[in-house]
Amino acid sequence: MKTVMEPKQTNTRIAEQPRSENTEMKQAALDVKHLNIYYGENHAVKDVSFSIGKNAVTALIGPSGCGKSTFLRSINRMNDLIPGARSTGEIQYDDVNLIGDDINVVALRKEIGMVFQKPNPFPKSIYNNIVHALKFNGIRSKKKLDGIVEESLRKAALWDEVKDRLHESALSLSGGQQQRLCIARTLAMKPNILLLDEPASALDPISNAKIEDLIMELKKEYTIVIVTHNMHQASRISDKTAFFLNGVLVEFDKTDKIFTNPSKKDTEDYITGRFG
Amino acid sequence: MNSKVADRIATTIFYLIAATIVTVLVGLLGYIIFHGFSKLNLDFLTSPSSSFRAGGGIGNQLFNSFYILFLTMVFTVPLGLGGGIYMAEYARPGRLTNAIRTCIEVLASLPSIVIGMFGLLMFVNLTGWGYSILGGALALTVFNLPVMVRVCEDALRTVARDQKEASLALGITHWHTIKTVLLPAAFPSILTGAILASGRVFGEAAALLFTAGLTTPTLDFYNWNPFDSTSPLNIFRPAETLAVHIWAVNTQGLIPDVREVADGSSAVLIISVLIFNLLARWIGSVVHKKITASK
Repeated sequence: MKTVMEPKQTNTRIAEQPRSENTEMKQAALDVKHLNIYYGENHAVKDVSFSIGKNAVTALIGPSGCGKSTFLRSINRMNDLIPGARSTGEIQYDDVNLIGDDINVVALRKEIGMVFQKPNPFPKSIYNNIVHALKFNGIRSKKKLDGIVEESLRKAALWDEVKDRLHESALSLSGGQQQRLCIARTLAMKPNILLLDEPASALDPISNAKIEDLIMELKKEYTIVIVTHNMHQASRISDKTAFFLNGVLVEFDKTDKIFTNPSKKDTEDYITGRFG
Repeated sequence: MNSKVADRIATTIFYLIAATIVTVLVGLLGYIIFHGFSKLNLDFLTSPSSSFRAGGGIGNQLFNSFYILFLTMVFTVPLGLGGGIYMAEYARPGRLTNAIRTCIEVLASLPSIVIGMFGLLMFVNLTGWGYSILGGALALTVFNLPVMVRVCEDALRTVARDQKEASLALGITHWHTIKTVLLPAAFPSILTGAILASGRVFGEAAALLFTAGLTTPTLDFYNWNPFDSTSPLNIFRPAETLAVHIWAVNTQGLIPDVREVADGSSAVLIISVLIFNLLARWIGSVVHKKITASK
């Protein structure tokens, strides 16, 4: 609670924990060790350990209520908003444990951005949706703001569709455009990791395909973790796939392997549509 | 009895209940406005009341009512907003929060005459101000505050959760999210609630009897020095409001035209409250459109 209320940060250090001098390039963006998450009495994520690779797409699949969204929301501490939620274990990010109490969640969420299932643009203009967070971070120069708006809209493959109406309400956009605006808004913060919580499930097939193309493009620059219910989507866009069931990480492997030759019976049953 | 008949009977009963409400309201409004209509002229609305002779107006009372209302809202809105923000965003579920909520509910259900007696002790005797506009406004603040806290809390709670999450997920602090995302979205409901509360305050008499008093000194409407005793703006002078005036002329009026003055005052009061209500609806919908609609 204390960290949430802290005023503007002058740098992007997210914790007071000492960072090790280990500067060699690491392959893992996030190292999850023995993570447990509870909602009150409900043990939602059980002793999960795995590594999420840098500049790759990691898909989290599993039936509803299996803990995949809970896990995703614990990475940028969105679970802090839920009364009674608590977690133990580690999510190592640049030698910082994100589960720790000393994390400055405000700074953390700038580095690890999140896009939600339902497009949730602010009821403001397209332009103001993007500069909202930038202005909060003290960027005032009109020129600089304009530049970031264009850059992030281009990255989100939305620029050509909206460049002539940046000052119209974001609510006048279609659902798919709104979702790409939400992605652009997150990219404007220059995050290292993008968390996508079923970003295309509320969209029509064409918008869905555009979001998938966008994800393929974005993974060159960002580490992406995506929760999806759509097995085809997971197999098309992800490099690695984690299958969750009842809060347990059943299997984590290369996506090809999971979808062609899974080593666990539960995984096979799920991806072949026998349950879930 | 088959389900079709049951449905028809139930529908009829609901229609009757609705019709009763409308009839009572229309009857009441019609009666009061019909009787007071002849008094609704500029002279009655602007001239000062008289103590003995016929033909007095309600100019001072009308001014007092709006002035006390204004001061009350100046006190209530910031306090209510702060309380509402705390209850909706910061209070953690637990015993303390429940205790605060109970306090707000008890305060909201206190009879206004009790608040008037409390005001007499606090703002009249203890402070030594005597009957004053400020004392009246403070008593009405006590009366109005729980409603305002409730209005603000509910308005903030009904803002979609995904808007709050969107802002927090962008690395924006809780407080800044409240300021820039939640409050603008909640603004139409807060405004509507505040205007409706104003209508309630405007018509309140019991809480003012012992705080703002039953008299008004001779006012000089060309004297705008708020520290002068004849200035209408002086907050330490006693001030009889319109609702109190209706009560006073009916119970202790010495003027021969008590009936006409009471009827006229009632009509003005009820029309003002009606205007507050209609204004609340109209402004609420205009602001709502402006904030959400694309064009």
